[in-house]
Amino acid sequence: MTVLASTLRPDDTAARTHDEAQRALADELRATLTRTALGGPQTSRERHVARGKLLPRDRVEQLLDEGSPFLEIAPLAAHDLYGGDAPGAGLIAGIGLVEGRQVMVICNDATVKGGTYYPMTVKKHLRAQEIARENRLPVISLVDSGGAFLPLQDEVFPDREHFGRIFFNQARMSAERIPQLAAVLGSCTAGGAYVPAMSDEVVIVRNQGTIFLGGPPLVKAAIGEIVTPEELGGGELHARTSGVADHLAENDEHALQLIREMVATLPPDPEPAWDVLETVDPVVDESELYAAVPVDVAAPYDVHEVIARLVDGSEFSEFKPLYGETLVTGFARIHGHPVGIVANNGVLFSPSSQKGAHFIELCDQRGIPLLFLQNISGFMVGRDAEAGGIAKDGAKMVTAVATTRVPKLTVVIGGSFGAGNYSMCGRAYSPRFLWSWPASRISVMGGAQAASVLATVKRDQLESRGEAWSAEDEEAFRAPIRQNYEDQGSPYHATARLWDDGIIDPADTRRILGMALAVCARTPLPESRFGLFRM
Amino acid sequence: MFTSVLIANRGEIAVRVIRTLRRLGIRSIAVYTDADATARFVGMADAAVRVPSYLDVEEVAEAATSAGADAVHPGYGFLSENPAFARALAERGVVFIGPGVHALEVMGDKIRAKEAVIARGVPTVPGSSGIGLDDAALTAAAAEVGFPLLIKPSAGGGGKGMQVVTEPEGLPAGLASARRVAAAAFGDDTLLLERLIESPRHIEVQILADRSGTTVHLGERECSLQRRHQKVIEEAPSPLLDAATRERIGEAACEVARSVGYEGAGTVEFLVADAAPDEFFFIEMNTRLQVEHPVTEQVTGIDLVEQQLRIAAGEPLALAQDAIVLRGHAVEARIYAESPWRGFLPATGTVLALHEPEGRGWRLDSGLTEGYEVGGGYDPMLSKAIGTGATRDEALDALDALLAETVVLGVETNIDELRSVLSDPDVRAGRLDTGLLDRRGTPAEPEPTAEDLAVAGALLASWRGGGAGPWRLDGWHSGGRTPASAPVVAEGAHRYRVGDETVWAVRQGSALWLHRGGRTLELPAPSRAERVAAMLASRERENGPVSPELRTRMPGTVVTALADGTRVEAGDVVVSIEAMKMEHPLPAPTRGVVRIQVAVGDPVRRDQLVATIEEETP
Repeated sequence: MTVLASTLRPDDTAARTHDEAQRALADELRATLTRTALGGPQTSRERHVARGKLLPRDRVEQLLDEGSPFLEIAPLAAHDLYGGDAPGAGLIAGIGLVEGRQVMVICNDATVKGGTYYPMTVKKHLRAQEIARENRLPVISLVDSGGAFLPLQDEVFPDREHFGRIFFNQARMSAERIPQLAAVLGSCTAGGAYVPAMSDEVVIVRNQGTIFLGGPPLVKAAIGEIVTPEELGGGELHARTSGVADHLAENDEHALQLIREMVATLPPDPEPAWDVLETVDPVVDESELYAAVPVDVAAPYDVHEVIARLVDGSEFSEFKPLYGETLVTGFARIHGHPVGIVANNGVLFSPSSQKGAHFIELCDQRGIPLLFLQNISGFMVGRDAEAGGIAKDGAKMVTAVATTRVPKLTVVIGGSFGAGNYSMCGRAYSPRFLWSWPASRISVMGGAQAASVLATVKRDQLESRGEAWSAEDEEAFRAPIRQNYEDQGSPYHATARLWDDGIIDPADTRRILGMALAVCARTPLPESRFGLFRM
Repeated sequence: MFTSVLIANRGEIAVRVIRTLRRLGIRSIAVYTDADATARFVGMADAAVRVPSYLDVEEVAEAATSAGADAVHPGYGFLSENPAFARALAERGVVFIGPGVHALEVMGDKIRAKEAVIARGVPTVPGSSGIGLDDAALTAAAAEVGFPLLIKPSAGGGGKGMQVVTEPEGLPAGLASARRVAAAAFGDDTLLLERLIESPRHIEVQILADRSGTTVHLGERECSLQRRHQKVIEEAPSPLLDAATRERIGEAACEVARSVGYEGAGTVEFLVADAAPDEFFFIEMNTRLQVEHPVTEQVTGIDLVEQQLRIAAGEPLALAQDAIVLRGHAVEARIYAESPWRGFLPATGTVLALHEPEGRGWRLDSGLTEGYEVGGGYDPMLSKAIGTGATRDEALDALDALLAETVVLGVETNIDELRSVLSDPDVRAGRLDTGLLDRRGTPAEPEPTAEDLAVAGALLASWRGGGAGPWRLDGWHSGGRTPASAPVVAEGAHRYRVGDETVWAVRQGSALWLHRGGRTLELPAPSRAERVAAMLASRERENGPVSPELRTRMPGTVVTALADGTRVEAGDVVVSIEAMKMEHPLPAPTRGVVRIQVAVGDPVRRDQLVATIEEETP
């Protein structure tokens, strides 16, 4: 193992500029997260508390072990969507510890439109379930939701990845012996009623939680029966008569305590799927991460500076350091977990793609999880590259990424453009987790390139008709394209749509990766199916 | 000089006396009761003898003989002013370090003391004189003394049984009450009257007198900061007196000592009216070492215990009056085991963590050790903090800093309140009077700030272990900088570095004692399960008794039933149902009288009401 030495001089003007700019972005992220974490509007939060209910974040806090860390999933989902009406998509999801066991918590935020499901709420809930299933995490649902957000019902109700999928997943997970527990802390109406109903064990709060397929207004309309919500589907009814709930709690705290008691009866967390050593701090100062990486994704820097600050003891055993140097590959440990790192140090050429495919196969064969550090403008283009078979070499790497049996983690630390996104394990390649740094950009190509491509096509059209195109007109054509790419390339745009599992502060990266690796290690690795193909 | 001295006392004063004995190369012998077996002074002494009580004259005197002591230092309180004890020692040929029996007897009786000093021309507070005055005689005397006046028991001290009467109409009730208290507390209901000096300052003079009658004074101490007549903060010199008055009051004190042929160290107490500091009135003489003697030691540089020992050994005073110079200023604060926010009620508990810092201008006379149990059996004073400086301001600052650094966890103390008193503008300005502390009232219970809770959270998390891995229990949250994520480093047994500050903390059951930024807090931190259980229990209490109705849980036949009107306790079987070949007893949910709704043999449905329990009306 080589201990990576940093050549960063933190007092350089450039380093100081990067540091300031990255910190500013991290501060902006923190402020946005803090604001979003409040949930719904003040009045609605006050009303919630006045009913004797705990605010959703307090529920999560009360559920988790004291001092438990919480790895939140997509806290900025639906950011700036739906007119800003759905902070966090009205759902809190994340991994924490209950009775010492890692669990996935999915908690409705009833202060956000009564906890109803917007399209992004559904997507976030499904994503949390996916993480739970892939990593065999028990799921605890803290339910307080009016069901589908009716104005957008066509975007949440009928499709394969819509509301119904939640219950499908619950049943499948339960079948895979992944526990499904639920606390009914408010309404569970219509579809929402199935979250507790599909759970293995359920607690409901007296005079507060309700479960019914049709609420009192619907009942009255349908069969003329006049009932109160409590009579129709309250705690007493479900705990004593219907048996839909297994436990009756006096209030939120009691219900959460009962959930904790249920979790205490679950088997302990499984042994990790790979050997885990003691954690060792990096030798190189982690806090210099801000200074090491420019915020401009076009500015070059050496990704070894990032690796040195993420891995245990800054020790990195590099694979093929002399070949295909625009892709850095090698073995390291993060918080004691083995990890094979694939990181960009420039555009992907044929050799670097082959090297990537080879290295991924190595990790697959050895059962070592993969970490992709994305900063990729794409595969090399041009006659030489095409003639050299870049398409086929890129395909090798994409195939390796798509088919490897080991868990993959992806952090978009810079640009994520074009097919580079695919070969570097973008969202479509099902990394177990994917996060973005605040300075990252994601789009099919850069805004300037896109504007240029579209302008060239248009100019060709105009010129074929014999028309002229002034420089001003062309700029007027290009500017909105660039702006559009600029807006949509923002990590906030991405995270709002669940293209990632959250934007993270670079300073938290090492910790988050360590937590995620521990989560990934819960699931045993499947058998390898091929020998290694030397590229 | 003596070779071996027994200390007939406990706690901080025993520790303090042993220090001087050790310095002088004299063997120290402690006496201790079972409650004090593990106390600091017992371990410090060269030898220790168990006694049934510190007040047991015979046993303590016997301990002195058996341990081979040639003298006994009585400290303060207990037997320090007890003539019988002095006599018992004299009979055994052991020297009592204190004045002669005559001085003890005269000064121990306020009325005789007053008569003795008046004869020497020392001014006293206008008051009744003569022993055994009945209510009528006292009422007559009251007119001469003038109002407002104070009714005091002749025996006892420490303010116990004292009554303030502002107008003649209040006198009969005041007398009756004072007699009751005096009779109960001291077995002697003799009372005397005295004019109440308003805004009075309590100023006392330290004197030393040797066997030949040479008497010097070591300047005064001001002890005006009292709570319910108990001294809390004392200082030397008094900010009130000028040099001329100091000279006169000192001379008057020496005269008081001479009036009884005093020998040893003693303190003469005076009342001084705030408005007329050149006028002073003798109150009483304390024929022992005072609790607050360190402030005099700090400004004179004289070890009073050493002087006591030398005088008792028959050495002549080596100090001339003009060689005694007061340098700088010293302020003492008494640290009590008490809850200021519960009306200064004494507190008990075990000292779980203790830090008694040392530093320039700091002196801490303490009898505490970690693990020491503060019981209710003895005086709640734990230790004394003394700050010394060139000026009064410096001394106050030094004392405040010392108190801020002093850590006593496990027992509630008045340390924070003392610091608050020291920052009182009147105290800083020297505008003292004996009512000042009582006027401040009861402080609010200290509330933890968000930062305190965050630090506590960080500590608790670090104690839970949680390990060093990324899933350690430090409250980390992606996207949030929780204060609880401050790293915790243990710096000592109970000392921790949390983030960039040093705190003291110790766990007691589920509670956490935390000393942070010069403040001590006791934070109840019960587990989640405990909190929920407590919440459920309190809900049950609020909701009143459980349902008085007995209902069947399944259909069946009644096989037994109590007679209507039977008295039952909760849990008694009221009705039994047979169903599915099994008997199902229905116990009473509460105690009361049974009203039966069914008869044996009756078939019952599920959920049918079979009985109610009525509350018994007395």
